[in-house]
Amino acid sequence: MLRTVTRAINVIPRVITSVLLTIALVASSLVLSAAVLIAPTKALAQHGQPSIQQLLQEPFLDDYYSNVVYGYEIITDTQKNASRYVGNALNCSNCHLQAGTQKEALPLNVAGMYPKWRAKNGKRNGIGLRIRECFLYSMDGIMPPEDAPEVLAISAYVSYLSQGQIMGAEPEGRGVPTLPDTGYDPNPANGRAVYLAQCASCHGTQGEGVAGMPPVWGLNSYNKGAGMNDIREAAGFIWANMPLGNGKSLSHQQALDVSAYLNLQIRPSDPRDSKFLKLLEHLIN
Amino acid sequence: MIRKYFSEATPSFAWKNRLGNWRTEIFAGFVGAILVIPQGITFAYLAGLQPEYGLYCAIFVTLFCSVFGTSSMMSGPNTAVAILIGTAVLPLAGRGSPVYVDFVFLLCLMVGAIQLLFWLMRGARIFQYLSPAAISGISAGAGFLIIMSSLDSILDLSTFKTTFFYEKIYVIASDARDLVNPYSLFIGVCTIAGGYVGRRFSPRYFIIIAVTAGYLSGLLVAFIWPQPVTELEYLGRMPLEWLPFSVPTINMEYLMISTKLIPYAITIAFIGLAQSLVIVRELKMETDQDINLDKEVYAQGLANLLAPFFSSFAGAGSFNRTKANQSLGATTPFSGITSAGFVLILITFLGPILTYMPMAAMAGTLFIVGADMIKWRDIKHYAKVRAELVIYFATFISIMFFGLATGVVVAVFLSVSVFMLRISQLELAVEPTDSGMLLKVKGALFYASLAHLTERFHSHFGKNMTVDLQFTTHIDQSAVDFFIRESKHMAEHGVRLTLLINDKQGHFLKKLGASSDIDLVAL
Repeated sequence: MLRTVTRAINVIPRVITSVLLTIALVASSLVLSAAVLIAPTKALAQHGQPSIQQLLQEPFLDDYYSNVVYGYEIITDTQKNASRYVGNALNCSNCHLQAGTQKEALPLNVAGMYPKWRAKNGKRNGIGLRIRECFLYSMDGIMPPEDAPEVLAISAYVSYLSQGQIMGAEPEGRGVPTLPDTGYDPNPANGRAVYLAQCASCHGTQGEGVAGMPPVWGLNSYNKGAGMNDIREAAGFIWANMPLGNGKSLSHQQALDVSAYLNLQIRPSDPRDSKFLKLLEHLIN
Repeated sequence: MIRKYFSEATPSFAWKNRLGNWRTEIFAGFVGAILVIPQGITFAYLAGLQPEYGLYCAIFVTLFCSVFGTSSMMSGPNTAVAILIGTAVLPLAGRGSPVYVDFVFLLCLMVGAIQLLFWLMRGARIFQYLSPAAISGISAGAGFLIIMSSLDSILDLSTFKTTFFYEKIYVIASDARDLVNPYSLFIGVCTIAGGYVGRRFSPRYFIIIAVTAGYLSGLLVAFIWPQPVTELEYLGRMPLEWLPFSVPTINMEYLMISTKLIPYAITIAFIGLAQSLVIVRELKMETDQDINLDKEVYAQGLANLLAPFFSSFAGAGSFNRTKANQSLGATTPFSGITSAGFVLILITFLGPILTYMPMAAMAGTLFIVGADMIKWRDIKHYAKVRAELVIYFATFISIMFFGLATGVVVAVFLSVSVFMLRISQLELAVEPTDSGMLLKVKGALFYASLAHLTERFHSHFGKNMTVDLQFTTHIDQSAVDFFIRESKHMAEHGVRLTLLINDKQGHFLKKLGASSDIDLVAL
């Protein structure tokens, strides 16, 4: 009895090998026939660009589109998909509204604008460096390395959104609108009143962000090096888009006031500052 | 038979009785965890995945391999395996994307299954032919590769690929000002110096001293210069789940595409096992651990089969971590199990501190471990025998130039051929007796060694021959044929061939029909 069992076990490897070989043969023939069938439909899909929703439905994506989808997922859920480089509680889509597709809300269709010189770091910036700096300032995290998959995926997504734009020309609705001069200085005290009336229901009285809404100040928000920490930039964003879904309802002056109020709040320090120099300055003074 | 398979398939925990100093094991596990964190992250990058997957690999593959295994080998993320995963799956999807992850899981599932098949077919035997010199050569070569890869992080190079290592060195040297990040280099040098100075004072804690030195110098650099200036790469935030269950997607479409992955799966399975088994063989040689090679194959296969269910990719034994583990005195799988636990604990509770751990500091520790693997003592030891030295250097150089996979193949091939050459040499002694010549044969008599015997036969042709076979270890068909042919030839010239044999050989010779012209004398 035992001997038959042993003999049977000795045969197992051979049986498994032959079964595997058969499977491999059948599968490879299936792949071949599928490739023949799929080829014509794929050629048709070249004309228009598939939407993200369509891409999300696809079971298979090529290198470019799978990167685009990954970039989309990072933009919409940065906390989960690029957590390594994020230091606060924000997501990219908190400022780049509608996953970077909404005009006047820092849309991401700007691949044609790069490389360009930026005063912020005094260098000619490629799209990669631009994305990496977002992690450092707006996400208050650490700068990802140049070839991090997250950076590559986001730049693929930016290229995808830039389809149809003219290279080198500024896309319509880029960045945020520049508010006209109201003739008055921004007034933080008035801004506080507007904030409590219009913004606090979502962003919280302490700026901490209620129920999944982004915190606008405190240690979980963007740091002092971020573009949003600039009063004019933030005012433009607030005027055009806030309160969410009811943009352009505040007056220019109200937006400036709120922006000045936000600018006075506590938030992480500017990563460009050398702590050593700060300490030195402090000691000398 | 079935009982044997069953006992190999269940964790034995026989090492519990040998667990002399559990503190040593736990400490070794702790150092292993420190070493594996940067490796998990870099290898995850090589495999095209997010760092978490590398850490899960460092936790779960190490854990399963140690629980089911018998040795103090540290399994987990492995360079060659990670690179191969990357090359296999990159053509199918964008790196890091969800579809990519699905394919990696599918590939790892295949790798695990193939390795288990290898276990069922007793494949571990192949690696018994590796000579000690070959194993030392592989280990030294792996050390060299680790040093080279640690340079990437120490100098903060963006990854570029060159065919041979010296091209890389040349490119770095010729364009040092643009390529090398001085801040990163400073941290790396501090780490390495810290490690070597620390070893003077405390050989046990030197890796921890090195990491601390690197971390502190990193803090100093970050304190003086901000990150936009230094562009240093940091470890970053790693939110880990304690039980990251995942189910690999298997459907018709995936399986159709994944047939492309089968050759890669076979290569990865083989290379992963080769490395693990070389390590285990080395441990078996150098320590008195109670190691079962087949059980190690099973443990590695099962760990890789289970990896996709715990969000990890396939792994293999790690030379550097096993070496560090061994030098700290660990002798049981317990250190591997604790190492897995420590990775989880370190990342969970020290996360905020580790966020600002510079990658250069971690690479610096790897550099030290890699340098330790190239031992001057080994070269001196093998220099005494020329064949051994040739195997050592041939293995080492082929790893330097062609990578670990080729190196292992070269090592197996050279070990086997040196072994073959050695056993095909016969020890022959010819003594004249009153009736003719007496030929004493020592060694194995088979087709490869016959030429030697033929020469002797022909030089004494025309006399009665008596061949003493009692010290012959093995006689094969071609040797018997030779004797039959010779005896017929001799009979024509009126002389006789006599074989002095023992019972077993007599039985064998008679079976092959060698009695007519040969006189068989049983001793």
